[in-house]
Amino acid sequence: MEGIETKIRETAKALFSEKKIDILIGHEKGSLVFHSRPVMIRDANDTERLVWNSFCTNNLAVYLPRFFEPKKPKKGEVPPPLPRVAVIAKGCDARSIIGLVRERQVPRQNLIIIGVPCEGMIDKSKLEKLLEGDFIASGSIKDGGTSITGFSGKRLDIKKEQVLLDACIECAFPVVEDADIAIAGTSRKPATEKYKTAKSFSEKSPAERWRYFAQEISKCIRCYACRQVCPNCYCKECFVEQTNPRWVSAGDDLSEKMVFHIGRVFHQAGRCVECDACVRACPVGIDIRTFTQKVAQDVKEMFDYCPGFSPEVSPPLCAYRLDDRQEFITEP
Amino acid sequence: MKQGILTLSELTKFIELLKTSYKVFAPVKKEEGVFFEEVNSADDIALGYYNSKLPPKRLFLPQCEVLCTFENGQLVEIPIADEKCAIFGMRPCDALALSRIDMVFDKEDLKDPYYLARRKNTVLLSLVCDKPLDTCFCTSVGGGPSSGDGSDIRMVHLGNRLLLEALTEKGESLISSAKQFLKKPKQSDLEEKEKIVAESEKKVPRIKVDGIKENLEKGFNLPLWSAIAERCLGCGVCTYLCPTCYCFDITDEVKGEKGKRIRTWDSCQYPLFTLHASGHNPRPSKTERMRQRIMHKFFYAVENFGRTFCVGCGRCVRSCPVNLDLRESIELITGNKACVSTRK
Repeated sequence: MEGIETKIRETAKALFSEKKIDILIGHEKGSLVFHSRPVMIRDANDTERLVWNSFCTNNLAVYLPRFFEPKKPKKGEVPPPLPRVAVIAKGCDARSIIGLVRERQVPRQNLIIIGVPCEGMIDKSKLEKLLEGDFIASGSIKDGGTSITGFSGKRLDIKKEQVLLDACIECAFPVVEDADIAIAGTSRKPATEKYKTAKSFSEKSPAERWRYFAQEISKCIRCYACRQVCPNCYCKECFVEQTNPRWVSAGDDLSEKMVFHIGRVFHQAGRCVECDACVRACPVGIDIRTFTQKVAQDVKEMFDYCPGFSPEVSPPLCAYRLDDRQEFITEP
Repeated sequence: MKQGILTLSELTKFIELLKTSYKVFAPVKKEEGVFFEEVNSADDIALGYYNSKLPPKRLFLPQCEVLCTFENGQLVEIPIADEKCAIFGMRPCDALALSRIDMVFDKEDLKDPYYLARRKNTVLLSLVCDKPLDTCFCTSVGGGPSSGDGSDIRMVHLGNRLLLEALTEKGESLISSAKQFLKKPKQSDLEEKEKIVAESEKKVPRIKVDGIKENLEKGFNLPLWSAIAERCLGCGVCTYLCPTCYCFDITDEVKGEKGKRIRTWDSCQYPLFTLHASGHNPRPSKTERMRQRIMHKFFYAVENFGRTFCVGCGRCVRSCPVNLDLRESIELITGNKACVSTRK
């Protein structure tokens, strides 16, 4: 991984020195133990801040649309040229970027996708669960093994594989296919069994599924972190915030929370790349993954579509075919 | 009776006693973390916890409450809640936060009847913090692991027993009513308490907050705000998880001839918070909104109440999806450390 980190820094430095980019979005060391965080680099000298490790979990595609928002130029002024932006991308980030290109939120020609081979990221909440609710005071990673010590002094040695994010364990596309610059290295093997979480959810009865949905959504505090970290949620105004007409009450009844989550998850049909940024952002631990993946599975099975690849092909929500399935349409 | 020792084997009976007069809330361990919930017995209580995932402020300022309803032009008032509650085991930072919110909702000329009724009807037993995390900084912002501000009774966990100390009359009468379960504390108990407090205070990391108000006064238009807010994604985690954030919105929700007036949490991080009916928004971007959050806590509150409205619980630090760390923002403002990239 250190090799990859060096290559990322060298690549970034070269792009700035050759004046090919204005901004680079990558990961830097976070302020907490076992934590990395997004960083925006604007100068070759700052590229040393870039890191690559098992905690680069953020989906960086979420930062892209802001650089390309249409701005009204002042009278008599020529609008400044759009910036050229490079992004450090894992398989999931890259698929999100392709989605944004397809949806005309970002111009492909202004982007440089730096594809990084991803071996899977560590789920800190899994580590904390193994510490039985203790928090991680310190830790180290070596040769696929992780050592952590909790604040109470408890020490654990765990195989990295045991504590990867579910999104990474079930990831079918760890390799970046649309990279402009590909960093060499080994990626994780693609998961063979797809939609594992959604399949076990599908096996439940409708009543059980509804119960689980209600149980999870009842935790929601409507902070909208799930929406804000999602590259697909770039709407200028979300339907839950529209006041005329008002679709959702400002209150905290379960039904209101459900409407938000149903609206968001359904709006992800054919768009969600299952990066699980929403799951990690949720401060109260809602299992959003089951629901987003269920929709992804349905889109694949009913419409044979998997998002995040060809920007030319329209996703099912934006297209129709005469042979589209319609047995879900029932008489009132 | 001002003090008492409760052996943990008597905790069940003590909670049972509380339950005869109060609805009892305490930290409960769940899969996602520790939450303040109503408990049926002492077995539900997670005594040796760090801090709860969400601050217990919702017990006083619920995320949503109906203020009144109306139908065909007739207003129906909702009686103010008069339920007696006991909160057992709140951390001192969260109790201190309530004493901050009191300053806003219990002013000479302006009183919030809903919040104050809940405060009046609640007896608060705080638990001296012996488990500070690396994200805590209470001692730098006027608090401390044994701060009693906002609490009626301060409890200290001494191995197999709890030392209870009354800080208010309400607390004193509760201790007196439970005297059958309490023993008189020995000198050694008090010494042990001092030791625990001193050790805990040493463990709490310190940050430099001095001079922040002066710097904020001068720094309203500095480019550092866009540097601080650059990574921000505009969710409400930092405000909804903050024990001192109290901002709310009031909405009339009408359906035909019927409707209700509700008060709900709101967040300065949302664009809708300051959107005018004209369409103008005085805080149009995340930069102005993040500046507002920090200005409110470390400048306006100090101007108005002489206290910072941050108690150093570290929840916003720990839960921010992009690790926007308030401690670093504070350090950047006080000029201690340049720790975020600056915009060109």
